[in-house]
Amino acid sequence: MSPITVYPARQIITMNPMQPHATHVAVRDGRVLAVGALEDMQAWGAFTLDERFAGKVLMPGLVEGHCHLKEGSMWDWTYLGWFDRQDPAGKVWNGLRSMAAVIARLAEVDAQMTTDGVPATKPLIAWGFDPIYFGGERMTVEHLDRASDTRPIVIGHANGHLMNVNTAMLRIAEITRDNEVEGVVKFAGGLMEGEPTGELQEPAAMFLVLRKIGNAGLLAPMTEAGVRSFGRLACLQGVTTATDLVNKLTEADCGVLEKVTQDDDCPVRILPAFQAFHGTHGAPLGAEHVRSLIPRSTDRLRYGLVKMMLDGSIQGFSARLRWPGHFNGAPNGIWVTAPAQYETDFEAYHRADLTIHTHTNGDEASEAAINAIERVLARAPRADHRHTLQHGQMIDAPMFRRMAALGLCANLFANHIWYWGDQHYETTMGPDRANRLDACGSALAAGVPLAIHSDAPVTPLGPFFTAWCAVNRLTPKGRLLGAAERIGVPQALRAITLGAAWTLKLDHEIGSIECGKRADFCVLEDDPLAMDPMALKDVRVWGTVLSGRVFEARRG
Amino acid sequence: MARERLPLTVIGGFLGAGKTTLLNRWLREAGGRRIAVLVNDFGALNIDAELVAAASGDTIALTNGCVCCQIGDDLSRALIAVLESRTAFDAVVIEASGVSDPWRIAQLGLADPGLALDGVIVLVDAGAALQQSRDPLLADTLERQLRAADLIVLNKTDDATPQDVARVSAWAASIAGRTLQWETTQARVPLALLTSQGLPAARGHHAACSHETHAHAGAHDHGSQFDTWSCRPEGVFAPTALRAWLKDTPEGLLRLKGLLRTGEAEWSEIQFAGRRGTLRRTEAPANGAALVAIGLRGQLPAAALEAQFVHG
Repeated sequence: MSPITVYPARQIITMNPMQPHATHVAVRDGRVLAVGALEDMQAWGAFTLDERFAGKVLMPGLVEGHCHLKEGSMWDWTYLGWFDRQDPAGKVWNGLRSMAAVIARLAEVDAQMTTDGVPATKPLIAWGFDPIYFGGERMTVEHLDRASDTRPIVIGHANGHLMNVNTAMLRIAEITRDNEVEGVVKFAGGLMEGEPTGELQEPAAMFLVLRKIGNAGLLAPMTEAGVRSFGRLACLQGVTTATDLVNKLTEADCGVLEKVTQDDDCPVRILPAFQAFHGTHGAPLGAEHVRSLIPRSTDRLRYGLVKMMLDGSIQGFSARLRWPGHFNGAPNGIWVTAPAQYETDFEAYHRADLTIHTHTNGDEASEAAINAIERVLARAPRADHRHTLQHGQMIDAPMFRRMAALGLCANLFANHIWYWGDQHYETTMGPDRANRLDACGSALAAGVPLAIHSDAPVTPLGPFFTAWCAVNRLTPKGRLLGAAERIGVPQALRAITLGAAWTLKLDHEIGSIECGKRADFCVLEDDPLAMDPMALKDVRVWGTVLSGRVFEARRG
Repeated sequence: MARERLPLTVIGGFLGAGKTTLLNRWLREAGGRRIAVLVNDFGALNIDAELVAAASGDTIALTNGCVCCQIGDDLSRALIAVLESRTAFDAVVIEASGVSDPWRIAQLGLADPGLALDGVIVLVDAGAALQQSRDPLLADTLERQLRAADLIVLNKTDDATPQDVARVSAWAASIAGRTLQWETTQARVPLALLTSQGLPAARGHHAACSHETHAHAGAHDHGSQFDTWSCRPEGVFAPTALRAWLKDTPEGLLRLKGLLRTGEAEWSEIQFAGRRGTLRRTEAPANGAALVAIGLRGQLPAAALEAQFVHG
């Protein structure tokens, strides 16, 4: 018989509604053997009492149903965001609130690179910069050349649509005043009139730089080191199961995933979702490919998810919106996949018994998905499919009711309420629709299975922060977006555990602490149910347990 | 020596409009030009087996020197691979996805110093366009495509009644204005309309102009459908004036390209296709100035061209 370990804890929040709290949990073979009081453990015979969590609070390991492993590799580059953000080593990088602070950090990194013997030709690549918070001030070469006039500097903006470079990079990319493309911004006056400012908008202009730094930079493929960094970040945030919600799943990709996850030191279970749009396979072949990978699944690597994509992003004005369209009058966004093509491809994956997660940001895209899925289900009924709309940021109550009727799940992008809530209120969709942005309350009222997510690295991985957004619905400017859409702390905790597990068809294995499930715990210093809901984002995470293995989060 | 810019053509149009048919035809009739074609999906292209020289991963090499590459989700990556491959191509053709805005892709041709935008061709399924244009989910996407076009190919006209073809044409014109619409079936389009590489060379040795009805040889032969005008202008042309002229070319001009003196020791390459033109500095040519233009038969504004480039 395998040994039994019993962990007493200050509090165990099981997320099992039939036994919400406990003081002890017994683990055998990486699974939960017993939950309850000490006597309940003794019924199983001899055990080792491990008291390391005696003063701590245990929850089920958190489940992030929509993030990307790139969250780990982004930290190969320099972080320039407005908000504080923690790196995989546990170091918190302060948000940069002025252009001077941005320049100072770049200069510091450049100096460090030089000290480390990195040749001056090697570019300094940075990410997360967001001029939306700088009150209209634009970054130009005049700023960046102060950080370095020799080392090429490339800054990717948080929205992914823009880039800033310095003069050294302009020179390498051969971008001059003669360049005719619309996205190469030029000085409108002054001494530099007509010269490029170094701001590059949209793919064509950014292409000039990507072409020169390509594989060394933002186009870099997934690496083992990047996935390991992701694992460290997951542990810091109490996450034991995470998706990689777009992956081409080439043999090289699978090789990296399998190499990293076979290591017992890997603290996270990864579910990569096959990229079933703009991909390498037509739908029937794609479905075959995913099915062929499923037998290669292990405890820490689960193949089988499928990702499709209908529209773009709301803050990029590329999401598909219904009437009355964008608040600022911008034209409607784009289809990433034509609705008719989506329906055909969806049906192929659906008929192959796979679960499909569809990116729909705008309400027109969500509605197109619901319409298509309704027709597919009429042609090919399938019980318990768990197809999920991802982001679903503008779904209203009538659509949630249709989703409930069709058995669709929602994984809403609650972090948007904080990160772009003010922009949505003021610019993209206006007050009415901003007040029902990521409408968790309406989803639950309609009976739609609910998860909430970060879409890391778009926003930082951190389910307690995501839960805080859904519970409080506050924006940086102090707005409360739609008080009635707020959900309670217990509901939010469910959304980041069992709720997300449901959308991944893993609720029978993870998401709650009960006999038979994986021994996945999120180990906390604080009790999230006993805290002021306004402090939920600040709950302190000690580390995690994944299938019985203990991982203490390391903070730098 | 200045690098030769690689002409870039973008093929747009909704699903089923005939983009793949057009590409297939173009590849088969490349006429010795090595074209790199970037497509969304190999499967759809259905290249004749005897035309395939080698296939590996995302690339198929054809026996005639052309190459097909699959774009996947990252056009930048695919295009970089083409530009950096050791093969010297003569042209790049990109197939836009059925819902994408070809103008966004076309800007790559303006952005990259190694590329020159040769034109945006948008296909329309004459049999389906009326219904598509009434679909609120699609109408704006199709309109965006038409507005980007230098040439609109009204394809599959045999799938619609003449009245419906006329309605589709009126709809397209209401969006794209005077952009040429070419009505056809099986995506048959003369090479001279697809690319400036299909233009004949300038005739004559002096300022004398030549104006003739041009019958294209080869598989694209549509008889005498085009008029050609060519010239060796001796004057010096101010770049600002030329740019202004390119913004408001005389009606009937479909394509124009050539080399002109734009200063005492300054030469520029001038190019116009469909609805936009470019002027770029270049090195002095060995054979002096030359210009060639085409238009539909009987519609080429020869007098206006002469006024601009000979008497101007």
